[in-house]
Amino acid sequence: MELEELPKQHYSDKVKSEIFNNEFLPHINSMYNFGYRLTLDRDDAKDLVQDTYLKAYRFIESFQKGTNAKAWLFRILKNSFINDYRKKSKEPTKVDYQEVETYYNSDEVDRQITPDLRIESLKDMIGDEISNALNSLDVDFKTVIILCDLEGFKYEEMAKILDIPIGTVRSRLHRARNLLKEKLSEYAKSMGYNKA
Amino acid sequence: MNNLNPFAKPDHSKPTCMEMLQTILDGEATRDQKEYFKAHMDHCMPCYKSYDLDMALKQLVQSKCCGGEAPSDLIQKIKNQIEQKSS
Ligand SMILES: [Zn+2]
Repeated sequence: MELEELPKQHYSDKVKSEIFNNEFLPHINSMYNFGYRLTLDRDDAKDLVQDTYLKAYRFIESFQKGTNAKAWLFRILKNSFINDYRKKSKEPTKVDYQEVETYYNSDEVDRQITPDLRIESLKDMIGDEISNALNSLDVDFKTVIILCDLEGFKYEEMAKILDIPIGTVRSRLHRARNLLKEKLSEYAKSMGYNKA
Repeated sequence: MNNLNPFAKPDHSKPTCMEMLQTILDGEATRDQKEYFKAHMDHCMPCYKSYDLDMALKQLVQSKCCGGEAPSDLIQKIKNQIEQKSS
């Protein structure tokens, strides 16, 4: 596991618990929300967050005090999800992202569909529409929206958390934003918002 | 007005509207880029419209999907587990 490959720090028990309490635990709400969006189940999210924190503690000497704890924790959670949880669920075969991403990187992009969504109909979505639309996206797409829009991570941090190049972060975000708008526009249509 | 586009890529190719907008939306724009884009929107209706919609959506995601607080017993559970394991 690559957490073990990093140069090790040496911390006393006191310092370990300081790091844990002051640098790791303050992110628990963000971590829980991320876990919930990934698993779509509150109990699974709890387990996932708990596993993540236990791992973080176990590998605490791979973490350099005062650095980006939040990105480090998100990375562990995302890996735990892929390794432990995703396997359990029977997901349909995935699309080939390489293909999707090259496609969306091309110049064609500006002439592609701009989802037919109007700002007026967005303003009517005051219930769970946005949350449900986000949840319904494929894991890889909802993840980049969460990391960027909810958690404010930069491209470089997202690239590290997800183990993908920055260019892929960018194109995946672009695609994710469009998919989200498509979902919402379908929703708006079903509600008759767009009939003007 | 100068001709330098702060969004220009290393190979000096011209960025598209959509590329500029994405840099802004993704929170990666520098101050120069933000100012340039603001001025650009004055004479580019598609950008102006997309910017409004995309920013509104981003703000909605922030207010509707933040999830609130983790269950109150979660921290204690985690701490107990760590204590058990390290004793
Ligand atoms: Zn434009």
